[in-house]
Amino acid sequence: MIVVDISRCTGCRRCETACAFYHTGKTHRNLSRIKVMNIYDKGVDSPVVCLQCEERFCAQCPADAIRMGDHGEVLVSPTLCVECGACERNCPVGAVELFEDIPFVCDLCGGKPRCIEACTQGALSYEPGKQVSLKDRKKETDGMKPSEKRYHHVSMEGGKLRQRWRVEND
Amino acid sequence: MIEHGYGGRILYVDLTEREFQIKPLKKGWIKNVIGGRAANTKRLLEELDTSCDPLGPENMLIFGVGPLTGSILPASAYYTISARSPLTGILGDSAAGGQFGARMKSTGFDQIIITGRGDPMLYLLVTDSGVRFVQCPELEGKNILETTEKIRKNNRDHSIEVAAIGVAGEREVPFACVVSSGNRVNGRTGMGAVMGSKNLKALAVAGNRPVTLHDPLAFSEEVKNIEYKIKVNPEYDKRHRLGTTMLMKDLNGIGILPTNHFRKGVCDYVDDISGEILADRYKVKNKSCYNCSVHCSRYYICQGTESEGPEFETLCSFTSRIGVNDLEFALDMNYQLNQTGLDSISTGEVIGWLMECQERELIKPEDVDGLNLGWGDKEKVRELVHMIAHREGIGKELAQGATKFSEKFGEEAQKLVMQVKGLDIICGDPRGIKAYGLTYAVSSRGADHLRAEPYFELTEQYDIAEKRFGTPKAADRLSEEGKAELVTYSEKIALLTDSLTICKNIGLCMDVINFENSARLLYYGTGIEYNPDELETLLGESVKRDLVLNEKFGIKTEDTLPDRFTKEPLKEGPTKGSVVNIEKMVEEYRRLHDLRNV
Repeated sequence: MIVVDISRCTGCRRCETACAFYHTGKTHRNLSRIKVMNIYDKGVDSPVVCLQCEERFCAQCPADAIRMGDHGEVLVSPTLCVECGACERNCPVGAVELFEDIPFVCDLCGGKPRCIEACTQGALSYEPGKQVSLKDRKKETDGMKPSEKRYHHVSMEGGKLRQRWRVEND
Repeated sequence: MIEHGYGGRILYVDLTEREFQIKPLKKGWIKNVIGGRAANTKRLLEELDTSCDPLGPENMLIFGVGPLTGSILPASAYYTISARSPLTGILGDSAAGGQFGARMKSTGFDQIIITGRGDPMLYLLVTDSGVRFVQCPELEGKNILETTEKIRKNNRDHSIEVAAIGVAGEREVPFACVVSSGNRVNGRTGMGAVMGSKNLKALAVAGNRPVTLHDPLAFSEEVKNIEYKIKVNPEYDKRHRLGTTMLMKDLNGIGILPTNHFRKGVCDYVDDISGEILADRYKVKNKSCYNCSVHCSRYYICQGTESEGPEFETLCSFTSRIGVNDLEFALDMNYQLNQTGLDSISTGEVIGWLMECQERELIKPEDVDGLNLGWGDKEKVRELVHMIAHREGIGKELAQGATKFSEKFGEEAQKLVMQVKGLDIICGDPRGIKAYGLTYAVSSRGADHLRAEPYFELTEQYDIAEKRFGTPKAADRLSEEGKAELVTYSEKIALLTDSLTICKNIGLCMDVINFENSARLLYYGTGIEYNPDELETLLGESVKRDLVLNEKFGIKTEDTLPDRFTKEPLKEGPTKGSVVNIEKMVEEYRRLHDLRNV
């Protein structure tokens, strides 16, 4: 999975821009499979990207359009997908989001993620095989929209970072 | 029809009638102004009734982005707000970075033009499909961060970016600013007051339109070259660590750090208020504008306060410029100024000027509500800033700005205001940076460095100076020679960065943009062909368009500097003995611009 070091993120969106441009030749956060959240009143910034969670909530696809690739990445079949939005609803962190009826989710660029190359802060790294559980997060974010889930996820991760800041600066 | 780069549409909003209209952006219209600041000026020149009251409903508040805003071009983050300035009565505009510009671009509107007055207080939510007028009396008095978070939460969309005003804008303080991304400030010339006069609390943007390019592959090759130039720039590490706060020690080192209201250029306690100490003691992380690889901003935490920033101008304005030897005070003031929405330069000037006038007994306590303000009087400054933002007590008088307020007093006090054309001078003593002095004098929005940012004069690159500007002295900061040529060149590059909407620290100071690569970027981006000479010519024409607009506004002020800089030499340090021969440089500048008849 792609691992985020939230303490290094400056909120610049270079990962987001690089992802969208690599996949589509255009730029827009909706075209990116990694999306940055800036929480201005907390000083916290972080990209949110598929965590390849143990539970694979997105794979509960009614059209059976989602399978896992060799690197654990989420692959969506454009022919089977019926644009129902179940994957978007099921993802606990807002890492899957439909745009113009296509689910956008990290495909690891076939094993060479462009977002990691674009990050000049070293906030992103690739750790093959690493997995996390999002069972608790799932309960917290049920019913939220994707950007609300990302906000919640980054708030929670950012909370830990802010505690560290307080300790270091006091 | 424009297919790439530009959004291709202009949005007109009438707050009084709560109506909006969408018009196409015409290729013939935009080609000669590219985008951003120059396009805003052209719009004002063509469509604004220049006899308007700056704080009246008819003044046009224009938010403008450019063809490459929000693209893969590094730091293509900027947007410019333009209107007739309530502070100066002439052209007002101010740019900011952060995330707002790229998000505004996604609405598909290259300009958002706002007139009228909302009743009750409104905010606008602009998406690619149009405009929502949202009544928000509950946001009155709320600071920028509260406003931003509330708008995001209420709309259940945390991808919305917000440009808002604080209480200073609501109360029409003529140097109130607009703030986006929480702490990114369109600081100068009072655009926040214009917004406040329209009873518009915020402009919120969130669109679904991607930025498309005419030739994405060629564009990305060009971008790779620019990325490389940034990475290998000798200043990269320093800028990454300190950002503009590096200027505290840099300017002090050459004897031009404004201290006690420009009485001195060397500050004895600079080590206590420097960017270095800020980075070591209070900074917890870097912050960045959209798609930038320098990440020059910072987030800090110190007792009782935390925020993004401060930039150099705020740091200097609330330390050495007013005689304060306390970094934590400046960090608190940075938060207060940004969140109430006051321009730190103009606020710092009215306070510094009052300190000097009181020391010289030109203004007595009884003239200013019993106030007796001495150098470095922190607690009083803290109170005054609050009173200025809220227009309370003596703050109401100071909130007119130093130039206007000084008219109540004698000529001597008036002459002590460090301003040109009614806009307060930035933190950089022109006696030791002559091209900057010329820039302050001729800048079309009043005393300001960003119209040219002739950073080159500090580089000591004498060979290049001779080649580019005809004399090695163009790279000698203390010389007046070659400076008109340098400013004439730099102001075109500065305008180019404002049109491509990239950061000036990168585009200009790090020297990554020129007419050649910009012509290519514009072609690969938009499909509109430019050759470098043509680009230079049309930028020169745009520089002059500002002056035509100012004529229409009935400009009465001169291109000059306050007497302090032209007559009083600094008494110590590396700039000791120097004054600015401004007349000579201005004359030369006007000759180069063929301005005898303007």
